[in-house]
Formats: sequence, structure tokens, C-alpha cells
Amino acid sequence: MSEYDVVVIGAGPAGYVCAIRAAQLGLKTAIVDKEWLGGVCLNVGCIPSKALLKNAEVAHLLRERGKEFGFTFENLNLDYGTAVKRSRQVSDRLVKGVGFLMRKNKVDVFMGAARVTTRDKVTVTDNQGKVTELTVKNIVVATGASTLVPPGWVVDGDKVVTYLEAILQEKLPKSVVIIGAGAIGVEFATIWHSYGVEVTIVEMLPRLVPLEDEEVSAELTKAFGKKKIGVLTGHRVVSVQATADGVEVKVASEQGEKVLQAEQALVAIGFRPNGRGLGLEEVGVKLSERGAVEIDERMATNVPGIWAIGDVTAKLMLAHVGSAQGIVCAENIAGVETITLNYEFMPRATYCQPQVASFGLTEAQAKERGYEIKIGRFPYQANGKALGLGDYTGWVKIISDAKYGEILGAHLIGPEVTELLPELTLAQMMELTPNEIARNVHAHPTLSETLMEAAHAAEGHAVHI
Amino acid sequence: MPVQVLMPQFGESVVEGTITRWLKSEGDAVDEYEPLVEVNTDKVDTEIPCPVKGRLSQILVDAGNTVLAGTVLAMIAPESESASEMKQVLTSLDNQAATEKMELSADVAPPKKPATQPIGRTSNLGFISPVVSRMAQEYHIDLSRIQGSGLGGRITKNDLMDYLEKHAEGSPISGAIASLPQPAQPTYASPVPGQVLPLTAVRRSIAEHMVFSKRTSPHVTTVMEADLSRVTAHRLANKEPFAREGTSLTYSAYFVAAAAQALKASPIVNSSWVDEAALPGGGIRIHSQINIGLATSLGEGGLIVPVIRAADGLSLLGIARAVNDLSNRARLRQLRPEEVKGGTFTITNHGTSGSLFATPIINQPQCGILGVGMIQKRVVVLTDERGNDSIAIRPMVYLSFTFDHRILDGAIADQFLGKVVELLEHFGP
Ligand SMILES: Cc1cc2nc3c(=O)[nH]c(=O)nc-3n(C[C@H](O)[C@H](O)[C@H](O)COP(=O)(O)OP(=O)(O)OC[C@H]3O[C@@H](n4cnc5c(N)ncnc54)[C@H](O)[C@@H]3O)c2cc1C
Repeated sequence: MSEYDVVVIGAGPAGYVCAIRAAQLGLKTAIVDKEWLGGVCLNVGCIPSKALLKNAEVAHLLRERGKEFGFTFENLNLDYGTAVKRSRQVSDRLVKGVGFLMRKNKVDVFMGAARVTTRDKVTVTDNQGKVTELTVKNIVVATGASTLVPPGWVVDGDKVVTYLEAILQEKLPKSVVIIGAGAIGVEFATIWHSYGVEVTIVEMLPRLVPLEDEEVSAELTKAFGKKKIGVLTGHRVVSVQATADGVEVKVASEQGEKVLQAEQALVAIGFRPNGRGLGLEEVGVKLSERGAVEIDERMATNVPGIWAIGDVTAKLMLAHVGSAQGIVCAENIAGVETITLNYEFMPRATYCQPQVASFGLTEAQAKERGYEIKIGRFPYQANGKALGLGDYTGWVKIISDAKYGEILGAHLIGPEVTELLPELTLAQMMELTPNEIARNVHAHPTLSETLMEAAHAAEGHAVHI
Repeated sequence: MPVQVLMPQFGESVVEGTITRWLKSEGDAVDEYEPLVEVNTDKVDTEIPCPVKGRLSQILVDAGNTVLAGTVLAMIAPESESASEMKQVLTSLDNQAATEKMELSADVAPPKKPATQPIGRTSNLGFISPVVSRMAQEYHIDLSRIQGSGLGGRITKNDLMDYLEKHAEGSPISGAIASLPQPAQPTYASPVPGQVLPLTAVRRSIAEHMVFSKRTSPHVTTVMEADLSRVTAHRLANKEPFAREGTSLTYSAYFVAAAAQALKASPIVNSSWVDEAALPGGGIRIHSQINIGLATSLGEGGLIVPVIRAADGLSLLGIARAVNDLSNRARLRQLRPEEVKGGTFTITNHGTSGSLFATPIINQPQCGILGVGMIQKRVVVLTDERGNDSIAIRPMVYLSFTFDHRILDGAIADQFLGKVVELLEHFGP
């Protein structure tokens, strides 16, 4: 029997980062995972999907824009299987890296399913059925989330799939219905469409990426429309049925019902936190109705010594948010200086084409809160680097408070915009105003110049437009 | 009975001090007048001597903390009984206020925890974000009063909002801030280089007026000098009788009297420019009364301009009385609003701080302002009726007249100023 200061359950980006920080702070730390180090993110989420999206980008360029760039092919052969293999290599490499980090920081790794039996005991059952009991002072729950599947829908893993099968399958269907136009839905739409799959995306809410600023949704809809990706917003899926040669997805809208037929359907309507079935309720930990572990700003649950971070807390189901929570959690356990996270201002990145990046309030939210706002905009069409890249759809929109200049949010759609957020989030955190961004000289030619220009515009003196 | 060692008040404006170093440790034997602790204020660095011979029994405020005057810093167990009779001993630097505070606490047992109220921060403010600095300016907040919660103690916008909420007496503060809470009077006691000082309401209003005035009127200043021999003689002769009437006869009274008569002779100077926006075709309004404002400094509190109404109708005694009364009440901040309104001309006596001549800024919407320099004995050349020159020592003053060039041309302005000089030089019954 071993004794630990901290045992982290779940080795995703929330859990493993927390374990490293705890160990760095001198706490004796163990981490438990029933499947893999790196969690969803490294194994079947963020990382492999980005590898596939790179393939998609190249595939799109070769298939659709060869002429424009002056490349012609006799027999263009796109091997999606190789794309998947490459994505697996990338994942494996990073997962190995996490294993190395655990050893380096002297974090003990236990592979097996964890269960909290008492406030200070965690049992780990490995796949041979062997049980190890760990005595702990602090338990950190980081068990992530699972795809939400409405009752009555049957995910068979073949015709009706979730991201998990979709990201691992080496063959592509001819046609697919994607249910849900959130980040995962629009990313898979981008991958598959680039490889020639006929894609229809169905969203119950009236727009694509419904949590983003309305103008972003409109711009993305325009871009998808140009590519001939089928977009059915304002459509509710009534049923999903596997048939002999594919699927039938029945959708309903104000115009009535219709049935969509395709080879596959991807269910991507959201995630359910993995808070239940871990023994947490039995020791008195409060869970929300959805099964999320409830936490305070220290990441502490209502039971002393039990903490939770990452997707299982259902704050913002993003890898970097989980990692940030993990650091704050470890620091609170160790009792050292830490910060309070403001979930509202966490960066959000979506890797569809064109990419979407944002943080903070949307224009509508800012107005709802009663701010008098200033908006600075700049289009990629007026950015030299974007023109050179041949990738100039989209724009930058920075929203600030007219009175004090506080940056309230930013919404970007266009080439590589996911890389442009840090300047803005740092500015927001340090409470800089568009004026400082405008006066910060940006290298030329870069995509980041659009931030400077949008900031100039917010200050009322855009230069290049 | 143990004797308290208090943080003294080092002069009127210095109400707090920072403990830099304890020179003795708890348990140490200490002699009367032996240096006990090093204290730093923005004005002085000094040591506080031990009030009695005895033992340093308890240190209540650790080094690095800033505390208010009157705060108990340490307890001394005195050696002799007679010494303990002195319940409280202050250092030689004490003053009345601190003494009072001390007596209040005389019978209270020494507090376990420091009775200190660390005010604000001991060091500088660190990074102040542009957003915070803009808000602080708008609300006139002294940021050193706010404890930061951000990384490294940085004062965040939220800290400021919290502070405002606590100090705004119920005024709601939401995303968009609606109301302006009354500013706490900030002190500029310790401007730290690199720091942005928050604006007081007075400072802000002065700034607005000055900028507005400079933008409104094309300012021109003309300077003449006046021989005050007669004025000085008259004042010397009449000080006593005036004093018997309860009035102190100041030089200001003479300048007001001279200006009033000169304005009467040149009504165009007692005027205001009227914009086309206010009157079709615009115009120059000649005021029907001569109301002279007298700029009065309130020290850190800024500047106020009480008005002597219908000054041309007052005798020197009347003017002297009005000047006395208004400037006294200005300093006590007891002026009624109507007493600072309706001026048609202003006099500023910058000579009181040694200035010889200046280029004062017009008090809008008036046409001119007269600056009075320091009265100085200077060597002058006099010429008698027969053309003989001689050198004499005379009390001289430079008079600077700044006027609105839209209304007056140089010649008219000089004519007016010449009249003032003439009136002063020939003062007398
Ligand atoms: C296709 C896809 C793409 C994504 N792309 C992005 C992206 O680009 N950017 C981004 O920020 N986010 C992205 N996400 C979301 C991101 O993957 C998650 O937010 C992130 O993985 C959450 O981290 P976590 O540590 O909370 O949980 P997870 O990564 O889900 O890790 C939880 C771990 O807990 C383990 N576990 C669960 N229960 C037990 C138990 N009882 N005992 C032991 N172990 C247990 C699981 O095996 C798992 O390894 C994507 C997700 C998907 C599905």
C-alpha cells in the first residue's frame, strides 16, 4: 500500500499537467488512467484531429487549387489511410512524451480504472482485475467527458459513429451527415470535405458554431456554402437509423420534416462530464444534474481533500482550460501563490477552414451587459501575407469598452487565426487597450498585422484600409 | 506598567510612516533615548528613541509595514516604577493630534495583534494597466489605497470595481459604470517617480478651465511697472486706523481699487466676447457692473476666485473689508456659491510667492486678468521738472495684464494698464 499527497484520476491534459505541477511543488504524486496517458486530447482529440486537418489543407490545395498555383497532376491519388497513420504517429510521439514527463517529475503512474472508496482511499483495478489501493491526502478528479448520445440513438461504431471512430477509421465514407455544428462538427466537415466526401452538417440552433459571434457564423456559412458543404441550421435531428447500406437521419425544421441519407452519421452534439460511477457521490461530492463535479475557484469540491479539473467540471471543455485548472489546483493543494481563472476570457480555437478563434464577449453579449462598445475590424483581403498565402477569407474584429478601452473580446476568422490569440489574451489579462496593440509594431508581412490594424481601427485611425 | 512606543506624526502633512528596521530585538535592554527603530516617511528618515529605560518587551509592527501616526509600535517594560508612571511617552517629535490619540488608548491593554492598519502598500504600485489608470482618473482614486489581487499584487480592474463598490455608498456599479462617486480627497504626499497621480476634482476642474480658456481666447500679455511709494506710504499711515475698525489693510485692496477705477475709465476692458452661437452676429458685451474676482490659493486644494461686487462703488475701507472677509472664508472653504460667480475681471497676486511678473490665464468669459508681481525695492531713475535725473530707491511692482486679443488691441490694453499704473502711483486723497 502506498501513500500519496496527491492522486490524480485521469491522465488527460488536465490531469497530467496537474500531476507535474504538484510534483514540482514537492508533493508525492501518482496519476491513474484506465486507458492512456494524454487523455482524449493527445490520443483521439485535439492532436490527431489537427494532424488530419493539415492533410485536409494540403488535399484541398491539390484538388481544388492546383491550377491557380500552377500544379497539374495526371493521377492525383489521395491516400487517407496514410493521413490517419501519420496522425497516429503524432499522437504516439506525444503520449510517449507524457510518459517521459511523468518519470522525469517522479510521478507514479498506475494504469487501471480508479474508484474513490473513502475520502482518503483510491482503488485501481487494472485490466487483469488486479486491485491496488492507494492512500491519499488529496484526490484530483480529471476523468474528462464522453460524447453525448440522446436516448434512442444507437451508436454502432460503423455507420453511426462518434469522434472516436471517426478519428481512427482509415476509410472514408462517400457521404456523411454530421450532427452538430460545434467545433468537432465543423472540423470533421472540413477534413472529410477536403477528401471529397459529400458532407451535410445539421445544427439545431440557427447558425454554425453557435457559441461564436454571429458575424463569425455568417462568414463560416458563406465559406462552407462556397465549398458546397451542405448546411442545415435550424434543423433538429428527430432520429438516426442505420440501414442496410448506410444511415437515415430524419430532421425537422419550421418547414417540416425530411430524411437525409448517407453512408455514415457522426454524432457531435456535445459532451457529458464523466463525474458518475467513480464513487464520488458516495463520499458526498456534489455533482450537477449533468454529472459534472462542482468546484469553486480553487478547484475544490465540497468535500475537503477532493478536487476536480478539466472536462469533468464542465466549465469550458477545452484542453488548455483543463491544463490551466490543473496548475491552479496543484498550487492550491500546495498552498502556494496562484491565480483565479476567468473562464470568460479563455481562448477558443476551432480548426475548420477558415479557422475560427475567439475569446471574451461576443458583440451581442457585450451589448447585453450594457457596455458602450468600440469595434475595430480588419479584413484579410487587405493583408499582404494572407494574399501571398492565397488564403484571405475572413477578418479580425476586436471589441473594446468605449469608455476605458478595456478589451472585451475578439473574434477572428481566417488563415491561421488560432495562432493570433495570445497577443490579445495577454493584452486583455494585463488590461491593455487597443491603443497599446496599435502602437506595438508588428513585423511585416505577417498575419498578425491584422490585429494591429484592427486595433488602429478601434482607435479610429486604421492605416491600410 | 508597560509603556507604549507610538508612531509620531512628523509634521502636518505626514500622517504615516514606514518601519524600515528595528534596531533592538524583543527582550533587549534599552536605555532612555537609545535609538529603537528606524522610520521612514516621504519627508524624513529618522530614528525613534526609546522613551524609558527598560526592556523591549514586544514589537507590534514589523519592518516593512506602513502605519498611521499614533499607532503603537512596541511595548517597553520600564525598569523603575517612577518611569512607569508615565503612561504614554511620545518622542520629541510628537504633536497634539498624536497625543490625543495616545491618551485614548492609554487604558487599553496592549493589543495582541498589531493594532496597525497597514494603509495601502509600502512600496510602489507596480504595473498599473491602462484600463485601471483610466478608471482611476475618472473616479479620482488614489490607487495606493487599493490592495491588488492580480499576479504579483497587481491592481486589476476588478479590484478597482470592488473598491468603488465599497466606497460608493450604494451607487450601483455594473459593466457600464453609471454614477460618479464623490472622490476621497487623495493626497499627493508621496509622488513616486513613474507613478500616475490620480486627479482630484479640483485639479481636474482647474485643468479643464485652463485648457478651455487658452483655446477660447487669444491671450496677449503686456507688462508695466508701478512705483508704489504713495501706496506704501498710504498703507503705513492707515494700517492702524483700519486695524481699529477690525480690517487689515492689504496691498490687494489697493490693486482692486485701482483696477476698479481703471475699468470704469475703460468699459471695453470690463467685457466679454459673445459668440455667434449665443447671439446672431456675435458681439462684445460690456458689463454693467464692475465685479472683481481675487484669485485665492487654497494650497493643495487648488484655487478659488471670490468676487468683490460693484468694486468701483466701494471705498478703500470697503474694498479692504471685502478682501479680508472673502479670502478668509475662502481658506475656510465657507464661501457661498454666489460669492464666486459673476466676476467681470480678475486680479491674481502671484507676487506673494516671489514672482515678478507672469502671464496669467484669463478667467472665462472675462476679457482680462491683472497679475500683480512681488513688490520689490528697486533702483529707479527719476527726472524732475527741470529735466535733472537722479537715482532713487522705490518700492516697485510689475503689473502683467493678460487680455483677450479678440476684444482689445494692444494700444487699448496698454491704455488701461497705464491707467492702473497712474492710479497706483498717484494714490491718495
Ligand atoms: C475530436 C476532438 C478534437 C478536439 N480538439 C480540441 C482542440 O483543438 N482544442 C482543445 O482545446 N480541445 C479540443 N478537444 C477537447 C479536448 O480534447 C478536451 O477538452 C480535453 O481532452 C479534456 O481534458 P481532460 O483532461 O479534462 O479529460 P480527457 O482528455 O478526457 O482525459 C480524461 C482521462 O481520464 C481517464 N479516465 C476516465 N475515467 C477514469 C477512471 N475511472 N479511472 C481512471 N482513468 C479514468 C480517461 O481514460 C482519460 O484518459 C477536442 C476533443 C475532441 C473529441
